[in-house]
Amino acid sequence: MNGVLFPAGHPAGDESLEAYRARGGYEAWHAALRSLSPEPLIEQVTAAGLRGRGGAGFPTGRKWALARQAEGTPRYVVCNGGEDEPGSMKDRLLLEHHPHLVLEGTLLAAYAIGASTAYLYINRLYERALARAQAAIAEALAEGEVGEHVQGSPFSIEVQTFPAPTTYVAGEDTAALEAIEGKEALPRPKPPYPVTVGLHGKPTLVNNVETLANVPAIVRQGPAWFRGLGTGDTPGTMIFCLGEEVARPGAYELPLGTPLRHLVEVCGGGLRGGRRLKAILPGGPSSAFLLPEALDVRLDHQALREAGSSLGCGVVRLFPEGTCLLEETLAIAEFFARESCGQCPACRMETGMYVALLQKLQKGQGGAALLEQIPKIGAYGKGKGYCSLISMPVPPVESAVKLFPDDFTYHLEHGRCPE
Amino acid sequence: MAEEVCHVLVCTNVDCKDRGSQDLLAALKARVAQEGLTDVVVKPYLCFGGCQHGPNIVLYPSKIWYAQVTLNDLDDIVAHLKGGPVVRRLTGKVDAATQELIFQLLDAGLF
Ligand SMILES: Cc1cc2nc3c(=O)[nH]c(=O)nc-3n(C[C@H](O)[C@H](O)[C@H](O)COP(=O)(O)O)c2cc1C
Ligand code: FES
Repeated sequence: MNGVLFPAGHPAGDESLEAYRARGGYEAWHAALRSLSPEPLIEQVTAAGLRGRGGAGFPTGRKWALARQAEGTPRYVVCNGGEDEPGSMKDRLLLEHHPHLVLEGTLLAAYAIGASTAYLYINRLYERALARAQAAIAEALAEGEVGEHVQGSPFSIEVQTFPAPTTYVAGEDTAALEAIEGKEALPRPKPPYPVTVGLHGKPTLVNNVETLANVPAIVRQGPAWFRGLGTGDTPGTMIFCLGEEVARPGAYELPLGTPLRHLVEVCGGGLRGGRRLKAILPGGPSSAFLLPEALDVRLDHQALREAGSSLGCGVVRLFPEGTCLLEETLAIAEFFARESCGQCPACRMETGMYVALLQKLQKGQGGAALLEQIPKIGAYGKGKGYCSLISMPVPPVESAVKLFPDDFTYHLEHGRCPE
Repeated sequence: MAEEVCHVLVCTNVDCKDRGSQDLLAALKARVAQEGLTDVVVKPYLCFGGCQHGPNIVLYPSKIWYAQVTLNDLDDIVAHLKGGPVVRRLTGKVDAATQELIFQLLDAGLF
């Protein structure tokens, strides 16, 4: 497949500025500067139906319009490559292989909302991605794609990289703003949202790396072309990440709406060693587990929601027969308890309670009444907390109990995993 | 038949800890030992979700929730553990829904 993001459909080669230009790179940028004012540019992104690839799927055009309408200058864009989601590598790969694509998308966003500074906020463990991004910014500056009066236009833009802290919450948009302001990366209470009160209190657009990387092609080839890829609910393509449990782990760009089975079997080569599938976690650790029957689900926001789970940011995990889902669920609960930043009492309590409860079950302490407490813990956390981390462990924990009751009851009775 | 054990659960999550719950825990343990209260067990607890009103101490199974406890309250709490009256000035501060959730979790064995 010819990808929108990865020309070969998967990451291959370190693209140079020259190579990027040869496939139409910076044409959209020049066209925008020359003859597309911000409002029609935002309309194109809206018409394309692009949705955020950072996990929540928020309509990108709507976010841009909100930032555009907000009062105040200077204004900022943050290209979010915090990427601490376990198993995710798409933002790193885009930055390493196609830094100019990400940069061009970021420039278009900055132009659309009238920003004068943009940050490429990149996980500080990603040394190569940071270096590639810095080199791309320097090249773009040398060739007049960035800087004062870009290409002779009235528009000026400065772009910098910012090495992001490596905590999970540092990828949350307002925590990223705190980090860039030189403070500890802790989420802010909302509202106000960053589009109105963002970096240094000014309107700020935060978009995921992959979201922005879609924009140049939308401008160059038009919203109708983009809508021709993917589904009505979620147009375009998306990068999915598969882990070591499959024969061919890696990142695969696929049109949205592709059946999950295609990703797992054709791209990934199925489970390593031909093992049988027991459970699927289709959208990272904050999505609900699915049964193997769900392999025929189509990958988009709506279809996964209807199947009882979510698309998240495209990290698909598979669990072979013989995996104990209580143990896997406990590991997920421990992750969220560890990564909860500690600001919100309800979040500390909820994430900690899940761990305590699952540990009890794991050791076979306590009775079936413990299982009945699980929905109450999730209900307690609902609507609380500054950020949505509090709601993240709920789907995996609740779905595991529902779909794999035998693993839980075996632990309750024997204090260990089923054979 | 053995007397029912009274669990004195002291929250040691961040807020309560900041407000001195570790000292409370240590002092309560010492007092309970000193008084020879063999049917009372003093233990840390991960969180009661009543963080605005910490330090929190919950007695189980009697389901008495003492909030905003200070070292000055210990005499009265120990007196209560010895059969004296409930320390009313320390109860009723945390919302009913949170109390209900915690009591249900404790009933289910989560302590
Ligand atoms: C705990 C937490 C961690 C997050 N981590 C990331 C991240 O690493 N990268 C990212 O793009 N978005 C992350 N998000 C989502 C961002 O807050 C924000 O919604 C996103 O960057 C918006 O981009 P989009 O609209 O392009 O998807 C996180 C959210 C939460 C609650
Ligand atoms: S605000 Fe701390 S984890 Fe959400």
